[in-house]
Amino acid sequence: MTEHYDVAIIGGGSAGLAALKQLANLGKQAVLIEAGKQVGSKNVSGGILYSKRPKRGSTHNVEDVYENFLSEAPVERKITKYILHAVSKDKEFAIDLTSAHEYQANFAYSVLLNRLNGWFAKQAGEAAEKQGGGIVSGVHVRSITLNDEKTIIETDEIEPFEVKAVIAADGVNSEIAQLTGARPKFTPAQLYQGVKVVVKLPEEIIEQRFGIGPDEGAAHLFSGDITLNHIGGGFLYTNHDTLSVGAVYHYDSLLGRPAEPYTLIDALLKNPMVSEFIKDEVAVKQEIDKSLPKEEQLRIRFAVSKLVKTWNELRDAHYSPAARRKLVEAGKYKSEDEIKARLDSIRNELQTKYATRFVTDYVELEYSAKLVPDGKRCMMKKPYHKNVLFIGDAAGRGVFIGPRIEGINVGIDDAVRAANSVARAIDRNDFSTLGEHYTQQVEESPFTRDMREIDKDYLKTFLDAAKDVPKDIVGQRYGMIFRLMSSGTFRGLAVGFANILGYDKLLPMVESEETYVQVPIEIAERLGQTVTATYTPTIPGVAERIARLKYDDDRQPHIKVLDPESEFMKKLVMLCPTSCYSLEAGKVMLQHEACIECGTCAKETEWRHPRGEKGVIFQYG
Amino acid sequence: MGVTGSAMKELNLAVIVKLEPDFSEGNVSYNADGTLNRAETKSILGPHSAIACSAAFYAKVKYGARISVGTMGPPIADAALAQAQQICDADELHLYSDRLFAGADTWATAETLRAGIAKMQGKMDIVFSGHRASDGETGQTGPQTALKLGYTFLGHVIDYEVDMDRRVVRAKRLITLQGFYDVIEEVEAPLPVFIAIDPSYKPSFNTVSQRLAYEKYQKEAKARVANYKQYLKVFNAQQLEVDPKMVGLPGSPTIVYKVEKIPKAKASRKTEVIDGSNRAELRRVAIKIHEVLGGMVIK
Repeated sequence: MTEHYDVAIIGGGSAGLAALKQLANLGKQAVLIEAGKQVGSKNVSGGILYSKRPKRGSTHNVEDVYENFLSEAPVERKITKYILHAVSKDKEFAIDLTSAHEYQANFAYSVLLNRLNGWFAKQAGEAAEKQGGGIVSGVHVRSITLNDEKTIIETDEIEPFEVKAVIAADGVNSEIAQLTGARPKFTPAQLYQGVKVVVKLPEEIIEQRFGIGPDEGAAHLFSGDITLNHIGGGFLYTNHDTLSVGAVYHYDSLLGRPAEPYTLIDALLKNPMVSEFIKDEVAVKQEIDKSLPKEEQLRIRFAVSKLVKTWNELRDAHYSPAARRKLVEAGKYKSEDEIKARLDSIRNELQTKYATRFVTDYVELEYSAKLVPDGKRCMMKKPYHKNVLFIGDAAGRGVFIGPRIEGINVGIDDAVRAANSVARAIDRNDFSTLGEHYTQQVEESPFTRDMREIDKDYLKTFLDAAKDVPKDIVGQRYGMIFRLMSSGTFRGLAVGFANILGYDKLLPMVESEETYVQVPIEIAERLGQTVTATYTPTIPGVAERIARLKYDDDRQPHIKVLDPESEFMKKLVMLCPTSCYSLEAGKVMLQHEACIECGTCAKETEWRHPRGEKGVIFQYG
Repeated sequence: MGVTGSAMKELNLAVIVKLEPDFSEGNVSYNADGTLNRAETKSILGPHSAIACSAAFYAKVKYGARISVGTMGPPIADAALAQAQQICDADELHLYSDRLFAGADTWATAETLRAGIAKMQGKMDIVFSGHRASDGETGQTGPQTALKLGYTFLGHVIDYEVDMDRRVVRAKRLITLQGFYDVIEEVEAPLPVFIAIDPSYKPSFNTVSQRLAYEKYQKEAKARVANYKQYLKVFNAQQLEVDPKMVGLPGSPTIVYKVEKIPKAKASRKTEVIDGSNRAELRRVAIKIHEVLGGMVIK
């Protein structure tokens, strides 16, 4: 006997969860199917979540969906500083874009998706349960059958079930899009590849170093020579007690001149300014004397490991007001001074007894990668197929215009619109116009407008911020446009003209190696200050980064190489962020075990998400 | 939607569990003579008991059930009951604790458990036990309890379904014919039955409604465990209304008269500790593996 539910949501990212919560808010029954063992384990983001209030139209924000978001959600820090750095070697010139960041924004938080989506799942799951639905995790959707009257969902793990409508929120590499034929796979020209590392840094050190108060946060963007001549840039966001440091590149720019994604992020980490941002005190264990008896060697190993672990944990607590208070309240220490004294004594014991050195370096916690669909180039014009609606990354939607980087909020806005359309169809018991209705709702979204045309008010805010940059640097090619755009009188005209041209024609002119690399280098060289790094970071190799990740291996590969001799696949040997591809006798071979499911190779492979519970399990995301 | 056959009478399930030493590395401690140091070793819900709990939870998710968990042991055995409740979202926890129960063999233990099960709310349709204990070959406690209850005994069960209309259990039993082959026997028995669950049992929930119920009951279990004492009832011999001559040492037809250690054969292998951070050492290991594999290509 087939089970029936009103709505199935495929994919438990921020968008899918918002759809589930919104449907529950409207009293509708929905089940969310997530392939990861736990919601959040597959999600990666750069990490800023915005809430917007546009002048024209309105957006559905995260706090509208989750009424307790502002008081309870485990966000990292409220981003109060937004700075773009033009860098060249050791030269750096900063442009404060905080006003552009605050443009039409209620707030913006840095987030780590594993934690945040876990919280969203709890809220949405409990609300959905009351409507006879909920979250089913560890289940991978294999196929969708869309008959005249019936929509049947088949999975790898559980029995097929029937629904009235589907919301596809299965991300940039949407399998539902392929299964339904709703859209072709995104092309490299429509995508960015983002690679990120999460760096550990104690709470109060972050606040001191970035000049921010408790719970305040800073975002730093980087452009110039750190891109190794590719079109893209770097970012560094402060989290509560970690930093998100990443590099995002136009995928076709990478394809043109293949580079290993980790060399790009390494170039960013090695930039003196970034090195100084991420530095911390790190304990380095002394090699154990091999001539000692085996038992003594083991004893020393265990003793040092335990001390270093305690030192690290206590140090984190020492730099965190809440953790310090907790330790004292729990009676573990009499006072905060005693914590400091204990910390010093452990450090001293490690130094004197075990010759442990304390050096300046940085601590990397997690390496991840993700493809980002560039909404300007790939948003679905018709984000549906029959009664299947696409939202967020799956629909190719996100607003990426220079330093304006918004994805999660766009997915949440889509989710509410899709949920509202589905609820309307359920109420009318008529799904024949569901797709058109949803398309119309999406058309009304201010984000859709931002993906189509230049917002001249935003541009003004941006140009005002960059007013100290001499106009001639921007180059002969854009001199005219730039001068027009900078002038209050002509801006409207110039933007109008640009919008007539449309993003299609405009983007190749604006998003070029010149604007992303040469101009920032020149700015930094001419106007920048010198930054000196006080140390050289010890950057882990890709093998070490993979070794630190957690996986539930699936013996059955989820990727099938179609043509092992194609030029594209040969480039993947370099472009795969975890080096899953190797070249043997002219043929590309896949070892899928280290795959972090980014989809960089999806274009010319049979690419599926791993079966339920399998594959990579991100701890931060 | 919802639980299949919700209109039908809910099942009453009991699970009997045992508090056992935690034999995992970092938790277990041994005396100088190689025997278990019980004082220094943390006790937990036995691994076989945990499997029995997950088997009961399966029926709760699939058919809807009321679950009672019982154990005989010292007052600290309530920790095992809390762990059991986390797994099966138990509605009732029983601890049978009395000095009179000390020194019980499996037969006397079965008597205590039988009396305890009789005190549980409702007449039990299925009683579950583990396959054996990790700290003593006491796998017969289950069958002996079944005998005393007068329930049909099904051992080595790896899967089961309940026909709620006909009130019968259909179970798969894994039977090992030593030296020949394994067979899976499918048996049917009217309720009530006693099921001793095989260690290889793994519940699978294969419909959306079961998965949703699973999530719901897991959440409920978490909330219940936070106040597990609220669900706990402790019984002494008198409260259980057992005959003192039938329980503890007096009720035990067997006693452990002597424990003899079987000397271990000396290992013929040679062990060498390798420093995992030393590249040269790792290389040496790789070469060694390569040799052993007879020159097979390793990439």
